[in-house]
Amino acid sequence: MSAIEETKQEISVPTPAKAQSAPPAGASGVSSPLMERALTLLVGVVLVILLRVFAGDAMSSYDVAGLLLLTVGVAAVGIQKMLDYLSSVRFGVSLLVLLVIACMIGMLIMQVNVDGFENYYAELTPSQKLLYGSLNFFDIYHSRYFNFLLLILSLNIVLASIDRFPKAWTFISRKKLDASAHWLRGQEQHASLRLEAESRSALAERISEAFRGAGLKPVVTEKNGKSFVFGERGVWNRLGAYAVHVALLTIFAGGFLTAQFSRVGQMPLKPGMSANEMSEVVFRIDGTTGEFAPTRASAELPFEVVCTDIQQQLIRKEGPITADNTLDWLTRIKIKDETGERDALVHMNRPYDYRGYRFFQASFQSLGQARQITLSVTPEQGGTPLRLTIKRDGEATLPDGTRIAFQAFFPDFVLGARGPDTASDEYNKPAAMLSVTPSSGGAPERVFALSSELLKNAPVAGKAVAGYKFRLEDFEKVPLAHVLSIQKDPGANVVYLGFLLLALTLAYVFFVSHQRVWALVEERGAAQFDVTLGGNTNRNHLGFEDRFKRLVSAIKGEPSEAAASEQS
Amino acid sequence: MSEVLKQPAVVGTPRFKLSQSLLDFLPALLAVVGAVLLTLLRIQLGGSRFISDGALMMLALACYLTAAVFHLTNLYAPSALFQRLGLWSATAGVFFNLSSWGVRWIAAHDRELEIITRQGGEMPWFFRYIPFANLYDLSLAFAFGAGITTLLIAHRQSFRFLGAVTLPLASLILILARFIGGEFINLPPVLDSYWRPIHVGIASLSYGVALVCFAVAVIYLLKDGVKTEAMSIWAALFALSIFATISRFSVFAPSTFGTYSASTVLPTQSGGRMSLPLRADIPYVGWILVLGAVLLVGVVVAFIRYLAKQDETARVWGHRLLKASLLVQALAIGMLVYQVKTLTDVGVCKEGSPAGMACIDQRQYQKFGVYMAQQRGETPQQIAATPPAQTEAEAAEFVRNRSGELFLSLNANPVELSALITGLAATLFCIIFSFRTEKLREALPPLEKIDSLMYKTAGVTFAGLALLLMTGAIWANESWGRYWGWDSKETGAFVAWLTYGGFLHSRISRGWTGRASAYFAIVAFLLIVFTYLGVSYLLPGLHSYA
Repeated sequence: MSAIEETKQEISVPTPAKAQSAPPAGASGVSSPLMERALTLLVGVVLVILLRVFAGDAMSSYDVAGLLLLTVGVAAVGIQKMLDYLSSVRFGVSLLVLLVIACMIGMLIMQVNVDGFENYYAELTPSQKLLYGSLNFFDIYHSRYFNFLLLILSLNIVLASIDRFPKAWTFISRKKLDASAHWLRGQEQHASLRLEAESRSALAERISEAFRGAGLKPVVTEKNGKSFVFGERGVWNRLGAYAVHVALLTIFAGGFLTAQFSRVGQMPLKPGMSANEMSEVVFRIDGTTGEFAPTRASAELPFEVVCTDIQQQLIRKEGPITADNTLDWLTRIKIKDETGERDALVHMNRPYDYRGYRFFQASFQSLGQARQITLSVTPEQGGTPLRLTIKRDGEATLPDGTRIAFQAFFPDFVLGARGPDTASDEYNKPAAMLSVTPSSGGAPERVFALSSELLKNAPVAGKAVAGYKFRLEDFEKVPLAHVLSIQKDPGANVVYLGFLLLALTLAYVFFVSHQRVWALVEERGAAQFDVTLGGNTNRNHLGFEDRFKRLVSAIKGEPSEAAASEQS
Repeated sequence: MSEVLKQPAVVGTPRFKLSQSLLDFLPALLAVVGAVLLTLLRIQLGGSRFISDGALMMLALACYLTAAVFHLTNLYAPSALFQRLGLWSATAGVFFNLSSWGVRWIAAHDRELEIITRQGGEMPWFFRYIPFANLYDLSLAFAFGAGITTLLIAHRQSFRFLGAVTLPLASLILILARFIGGEFINLPPVLDSYWRPIHVGIASLSYGVALVCFAVAVIYLLKDGVKTEAMSIWAALFALSIFATISRFSVFAPSTFGTYSASTVLPTQSGGRMSLPLRADIPYVGWILVLGAVLLVGVVVAFIRYLAKQDETARVWGHRLLKASLLVQALAIGMLVYQVKTLTDVGVCKEGSPAGMACIDQRQYQKFGVYMAQQRGETPQQIAATPPAQTEAEAAEFVRNRSGELFLSLNANPVELSALITGLAATLFCIIFSFRTEKLREALPPLEKIDSLMYKTAGVTFAGLALLLMTGAIWANESWGRYWGWDSKETGAFVAWLTYGGFLHSRISRGWTGRASAYFAIVAFLLIVFTYLGVSYLLPGLHSYA
């Protein structure tokens, strides 16, 4: 088997298929440009006036001025040229850069809804406040120009796709099945072989077999006494980029739905409390005074929420009820509406869904409370102390019929002039307020049960009530209230759909490539054939090189050492 | 194994291909399998008799640096032995790196297990302890991402040299981790979600690939004929900007010219320590930095003159100044470390104060007083209403009473210290690249191959960042009730993603291919570093823990 080995690896600079958009097709400037521009200006101005009339106060005079300026710009450049520019990738990349700059501004200047904005804003100089405020830098992501930028980017994606899709589609609709030897030698991968075979068709069949072995689907054609074998894989990858952009537009659309129709709010819940309203803090800077003036807006819910229990699971039970000592917050609620009642549990990272609304754990009010208390009750005459556990707002009865109700809890107990109170939020001097009804009947008496170590300094707990002394043995820590956040977002599912599309299409785009190889078989004397091979790919040039080498070895009938030779 | 290799013709083609492709990725495979085994061994043996995660991290660092030296030597003096040594040291580095992460997982579990079983609680699920809780953990994983990507790419022999650039970068991240300190934190409850391993895992791997992409882009520029003098100008400006911004701009500010001060550290009640925005002056370091800055300005001026007028003398002097600046930068870092280690006292310096004392400049009392008030929970109105004299007096009183407890630590300013070391590394690489540049360019693979790899890594990073943003959005929606809130970390990742998008599109846009797209890849990685560090240390937001 003689073979002329001529496998020069001459890779041309990789140019992805969509390269080089055609020069502006109908660049204006030839046919009465002045008329066209005047017309554009006129139509633009009329549109702006109509928009102003319909939008009313939603449009400020700045908006009108901006749109007019835009119209003048479009008219000056010419509408065809403008469209060409709008649909160019270059413009798209410029928009990306602008978007990046806007986002960087938003990162470097603290946004109005971020915790700590008040401190930040207070430290700014008046000129900074004026400048940033007038440019909307404190809330840049909700400013009109930012949204305008996103809109133009979407437009660019759509226009550029329309511009380029037909060319990509030809890879599928009109496959190139044959090629000249000269063209093949110009491809990023090419090889020329001289092979022996019985006939041209037999050799073409052998090459087809090798194509199949290399994972390329072969098509054999004949023309002018030459055989062509064309094989390709991953042709749909040519459309992958468009699918990615469809996914992105889906996400944008979902974002638009969220911005227009979503409702969010917070609901603080204490056990026993019910609510049918959520409220949200609207962060804003007062336009006239320049003061940071957050306001609260509330919205009514189509159901009532009753809190039945709140619980906080701690890591160290002796530790504080701070977030860094917490495993989980649990809120048990009952939702009532015209369809009836249902029980629900909301805990960290486990939201609850109902009628399109989602309930989340958001925060808590950290005044220390007890979910249940354990009392040690010692008879006045002596005897073994009894231990009993009472839930929040619960009651217990002693064997002799004495009833004990757990009424309130004070984490840092003080007995002031206006009655019992707490000096702080922390569990410094915990006390449970009990109401004890003697077995003999008689009026209930108020008792404060304190922990043992404080007993001697606390005169209130010293005296016996209803024949018993009460001591607070233990209690389960819980905050005063949990704050649930409630959200209704019809856009989220659309966004999720976009995410799914994006993940799938990105994987398809980057892990599959469109690889094509042509083999031209020409007869050169008795049972001698010249085979010219050439191929290209739209990405993964290194992987394609390996595949091409394997293919050439297989056609030559050698064991596939190409891959091994790359290693050593 | 050798028997199989000897008879490829006998073994069927598919099987041969399989064993071959496994062999291609042997280093990566060995590192990962080894690390898993070591972690399992740690579970078996328990913590007391086992090497700690911190020690494993230092081993990884040593291996990465060794591998980088071998790879660099191999570029200038090609030798199969050095190349092999480089590859296997890198493999050992990745092994230690991942082992450190695995052992840390078990250690975090053991730590909380003790607390929870003591009080009879139920043990939370094992994924609660996956080391993705703070910047230290993420840095370990980030360096691993970069290391494993380097190993995977090394299956192409022509790209084994990449470790010469990527591994020093990975080392810088580990050095940063070392300065951040590997203390365990209690996990904020919102992070206790199965989305955390998914989201942060994707983050660290795609950041790692991004780092490799950055290295490839730098190599591309070098191969493409960008003058090392031009690179040196950028590196010098980078180092200058670091000098100018560290220590709250104090090095060049007129009132504190030539002063470098480090944050002081206060032990907390719970046995931890907190870094305070109260800085103590470190002697000599500021002036050494000023000297370094003068040299770097000289480098910039000389090289600009060379590039503009082809002035050969300027070029020679530029290189001399560059080398001198390297020494001065190394001296500054050395002095800083020495002083932080040896200065035992912190306080207000008066006449007759002991020599080994770091001085607290009283001019920062006003700001520190405001910080103290904010820590106490005072509102901006209250702070504004307090007379400045009183704020200052409070700060002064704090220093008077507590300065005995204050101390200096290398962990107090992890980013500043790492930035100084990064500036040094950038200078060092410029010097290395300037040495026999033409020979180096010849040793590099063809431009098209580098470009292809750059595109591949950028594509993977783009897809990875997209997944990162998506999983983050889903997690946020499940935990906070909104999928996108323009939080600074979210926005940072988004901005980096957009820039990689810009890279991908620049390649199909007329006039922006080649070098311009390499610049996109470089800027994109810088944005990733900004997201990774800047957002955590400079900007407030929901991700401020990591």
